[in-house]
Amino acid sequence: MSDFFSTYGFLLVSMMLAAMLALSLYLPLMSGQLSLASPGFYALGGYIAAVLSTKVFTATGDLYPVPLLLLEMLIAGVASGALAIVVGVPALRLRGIYLALATIAFVEVLQVLALNLDVTGGAVGIFGVPQPFRTQIEYAWIAAPMLILAMFFVYRLERIRVGRAFIAIKEDELAADAMGVNPTVNKVLSFTMGAVLAGMVGAIGAHFLNTWNARQGTFDASIAYLAFVLIGGSRTFLGPVLGGMALTALPEILRALSGNGSLPLWLTEFMKDGRFILYGLLLVLGCVFLPQGFVTPAFFSRWSKKAHAAKLKRAA
Amino acid sequence: MNFATFIQQLLNGLSIGSVYAIFALGYTLVFSILGIINFSHAAVFTLGAYFTFTLMGGTFGFNGVLANASVPVQLPFAVALIFGSVLAGLMAVLIERLAFRPLRVRGADPLLTLVSSLGVAILITNLIQYLVGAEIYTFPASTYGDLPPAIDFGKLLGLGQIVPVRTVQIVIFVVSVVILIILTLIINRTRFGKALRAVAEDTTTASLLGINTDLFILLTFFLSGFLGGVAGTLVGSSVSIAGPYFGISFGLKGLAVIVLGGLGDIPGAVVGGLVIGLAEAFVPPEYSGYKDAVAFGILFVVLLIRPRGLLGRTIIQKV
Repeated sequence: MSDFFSTYGFLLVSMMLAAMLALSLYLPLMSGQLSLASPGFYALGGYIAAVLSTKVFTATGDLYPVPLLLLEMLIAGVASGALAIVVGVPALRLRGIYLALATIAFVEVLQVLALNLDVTGGAVGIFGVPQPFRTQIEYAWIAAPMLILAMFFVYRLERIRVGRAFIAIKEDELAADAMGVNPTVNKVLSFTMGAVLAGMVGAIGAHFLNTWNARQGTFDASIAYLAFVLIGGSRTFLGPVLGGMALTALPEILRALSGNGSLPLWLTEFMKDGRFILYGLLLVLGCVFLPQGFVTPAFFSRWSKKAHAAKLKRAA
Repeated sequence: MNFATFIQQLLNGLSIGSVYAIFALGYTLVFSILGIINFSHAAVFTLGAYFTFTLMGGTFGFNGVLANASVPVQLPFAVALIFGSVLAGLMAVLIERLAFRPLRVRGADPLLTLVSSLGVAILITNLIQYLVGAEIYTFPASTYGDLPPAIDFGKLLGLGQIVPVRTVQIVIFVVSVVILIILTLIINRTRFGKALRAVAEDTTTASLLGINTDLFILLTFFLSGFLGGVAGTLVGSSVSIAGPYFGISFGLKGLAVIVLGGLGDIPGAVVGGLVIGLAEAFVPPEYSGYKDAVAFGILFVVLLIRPRGLLGRTIIQKV
């Protein structure tokens, strides 16, 4: 078992972080806003943690204190949230594809800043971020509870007034407005929630990866998170979580499959060198054949007799 | 900034701006008809450059499956440019059939089509890397035949000082302008262009009037891919093909161009391309690190102040 954890520790924690990043994109999507800004806040959170832990908090001793890591996460979350409000208030007047484009621009501008400022270490980035744990799997002590908290938060959110307001805006903004739901406040709120989550994950990420540079918040990352949400399913919070985990593990699974010798050699070679080709193909096939994603609300209703009865009634 | 540098930067800006324009027209044509941003356009741009490189008799490096392969033809640049771009156009048609049409037939969410087109971009980019490796390919030095590498604009304009301008820039500018003129004539003066505009205005009504909309969507994708291929070849021949990813950042700048011009607006894409090309050319050298932020800064500001673009018209949101 310990062998398993030492081999796959990095992958397991990566999967948890990816699930949270997918949730950070799902939150604005709850109110119908396609925002690709998550990698920007993720990068920001990472830089805050990297700068604080290497330049400000000079902890002595073997391991970096965990309470300081938690403090960094708090600061990263607050800073990301504040920036999200500043950017979100004007940007969320835009709808659909325009908002997506504005957030792409936001991520690119942040990346250029990261490449050019002194505090972020330019193109080289920040090295030697201190480690609070001896092995990578131990990061699960932070990542797993945080993932569970985030999932519980979104699960509850889907069932209370604020979350229902988000969903009302997603279904029809004008109708929601007419019913007394303030679209601007709620859209900015959902955008900010996603940003806070992404910023906090970034703070973990900087320690986890040990180094932080401008390659962390890129357009590619935006696309990967979007794929997590849309392939996983954008109708319930479990979709992004499972999508993030599965798609992060996929390259490793393909690599493991190609390594055990049970497949013909040409296929093995292809899976090793061309696994991103499969990744792209899977995205296209997923959109064409599974437009709702893998996890849909109907997926759960199989266990619920009430929903089943309602379905029969609709069919009749 | 002295006058010579000004002229040089002006021509640089016009030349890169005109490539932005023809590239962004590829996005805009598809958007005007389907209301979808086709992210695979950036990958078609990359493909076009590789196609032309191959048709000119270029040999691939030792990485990738097609190591040291080459085709047994050596076409001159102008011919290879046309054939390479036609191939890129055919690729765009294939992409439409496989990644757009199945979703359109079902009436899927436009955002889903966007992700599907991104999937195609990832697929093509990594397929290129798998086949020919990630190294930089440079077009042969004799690409433009016997033209001198630079032309002295100071002598041409009688300025009394030397203002060297790379021939590449002029070739790019001339090719782009010629293509822009032909395209404008096709769209505004021919029966084909009229039908195309009708489909863009209202697909359902156009089909009721006897226009084969499905065919026109395919033709639009072909045109879009052709323009992407030309742009890719021109950029590749002016600098080099900087690996399979070289279309991606160009593709993002293309988005800035079409938003600036107004999504789906054809003259707007041309104006937007020139504005962004010139804005980038006039970034002072000490801030050159921020050059890539210019397009996105403009994009962000335009979205906030005038979301319909410079020349775009207001669309009334109906319930």
